[in-house]
Amino acid sequence: MGDADVQPVLELEHVSRVYGDGDAAVTALHDVSLRVMPGDFLSIMGPSGSGKSTMLGLLGCLDLPTTGTIRVGGHEVTAMDDAERSRVRGREIGFVFQQFHLIPHLDAMGNVETALLYRGLRPRERRDRAMHALDRVGLAHRHDHRPVQLSGGEQQRVALARALVTEPRILLGDEPTGALDSKNAENVMEIFASLQSPERAVVLVTHDPGVGAAAERRVRMRDGEIVADERAVRA
Amino acid sequence: MRRVRELITVALVGLFARKVRTALLLLGPTIGVAAIIAAVGLTDSAKGDLKRKVAELGTNLIEASAASAFGSQNPVLPTDAVERARTVVTVDGVSAVRELSDIVVTPYEEATEKFEVVPVPVLAADAELPGVLQVPMISGRWLDPFDEGPGVRSAVIGIGLAREFDYLPGEVRSIVLDDHEYAVIGVLGQVELEPAFDNAVFISFRAADDDFVEDDIQPNKLYVRAADGTESDTAEALKVAVGLGGPTEVNTELKSEALELASQSDRQLQLIVVAMGLLAIVVGGIGIANVMSISVIQRSSEIGIRRALGHTRGTIALQFLFEAIVVGVLGGMLGVLTGVAAIGVGVAMAGWVFTLQPVLVPGGIILAVAISVLAGLYPAVRAARLEPLETLRLG
Repeated sequence: MGDADVQPVLELEHVSRVYGDGDAAVTALHDVSLRVMPGDFLSIMGPSGSGKSTMLGLLGCLDLPTTGTIRVGGHEVTAMDDAERSRVRGREIGFVFQQFHLIPHLDAMGNVETALLYRGLRPRERRDRAMHALDRVGLAHRHDHRPVQLSGGEQQRVALARALVTEPRILLGDEPTGALDSKNAENVMEIFASLQSPERAVVLVTHDPGVGAAAERRVRMRDGEIVADERAVRA
Repeated sequence: MRRVRELITVALVGLFARKVRTALLLLGPTIGVAAIIAAVGLTDSAKGDLKRKVAELGTNLIEASAASAFGSQNPVLPTDAVERARTVVTVDGVSAVRELSDIVVTPYEEATEKFEVVPVPVLAADAELPGVLQVPMISGRWLDPFDEGPGVRSAVIGIGLAREFDYLPGEVRSIVLDDHEYAVIGVLGQVELEPAFDNAVFISFRAADDDFVEDDIQPNKLYVRAADGTESDTAEALKVAVGLGGPTEVNTELKSEALELASQSDRQLQLIVVAMGLLAIVVGGIGIANVMSISVIQRSSEIGIRRALGHTRGTIALQFLFEAIVVGVLGGMLGVLTGVAAIGVGVAMAGWVFTLQPVLVPGGIILAVAISVLAGLYPAVRAARLEPLETLRLG
């Protein structure tokens, strides 16, 4: 690590995010800079109100900063229009949410396939890739089950399959174990860990110390600023 | 192309997942298109039947009647009107009648009071009339030269009058014209081209002359069969041939045209039903806009996740627009089917000929799609404007 030639997959440069304006303005993020490198397994921790969620929105290109620059894979996201930013999001970032956010009327397969729509893929290829992704999270046999027919842990694994099916370089988890019991949480964390690769970064936003501790690189936030960025030494 | 297929699939799956809601969406375009198809189809079928009837009856029957240039009370044609008409080479057959007025017709003397108030047309007719009208006798026979003999009082009655007078076929019966008793010798079949004949009494010219006309009797109307395709020319020629040199002008009329004219009132009804169908489609469109707007709110989380997965605003808008298009296509097709079924039922019940302008089938579907797309525009734009960050409620 620390190789100067390696380009960050995700880079925040002097990023601030202010909500509202005038007297009502609230600074959620203040002059934050962060470089997420390929191969990183990174957790962002902090109490509520520390700016975690704002950070997540910006890292996921779902939101734009008030000032500062965000780059994904070297491309300046802050200079793109909405459609371009959407495409970058679809290509480079895989999301896993606390509430799973599966589409209720689609089965597991349909949910995973949704991430591959409008990319010019043949239906056959789309199905194969979706099935492969479900297989990686151990749910190939439940591909025709709808979310209501799946347990919380299974739903989150479908969400994981949906996030990884596009082979993104950034996996972004928002409190991914927050709605799960400890056994399922462990299972999901194992899958996250297995998805880490030299080309890919895994970023988990959480307030759960257990989840945060599982990461190799731990970023702590408070009052809209990064107060610590430590690297755990692997045993 | 692949993208369009994907959009259609997403729309179909989304609609299929909410069957009740989709059924409600389909209702408007279905009813509207069905009403329009049925209205146009049924009136066309009725008219189609009319055309067949006209073709059966022949389009070549001309009525030439006397119309006085001086407005005299009872204009008549020359006595030799039939011979004059025959001089027109395209004339195949001629029959003369004289409409007699103010004759009280009763089934028997005692019923005078009742039937005084019901005017029954009485006509003097020659032997050719059924042949020229191409109408068969229901029973008995038509007036023949014997009936032109002195003191012979024979009458043929129309089919409607026979019913009215409870005349049984073959019955020996007399009717009373004013105070003259006439023997009923036959019943004329239904005259579609001249419905008034169904309730009329026909007597010979000689009898009419003896009993009811003071001067020499003259015809006031000719029925003429023209050679096929010469109807208009023959009608013009008749005016000259029959009216030439006399004080009387001759009006001619193609009987089939009169029949078609009678169907004009159906047109108005058709317009009203079509307008109601259009109204149903517009109301259905408003319903689609309504239901889909609510649906966008209910599905905001789905929209958010799709945006997070990289779908652009445009794609989201198209997804909802395609749902509207699918609703329009399905609703339009259902409407066409329902409309065709309604025509089928109506045609079977009325004994008409099934007629449907082919253009109405794609026309109905296109109309339904157009309305649905218009209705889907607003919800689609609203869906596209949703911010993913707001709908996903991040931790």
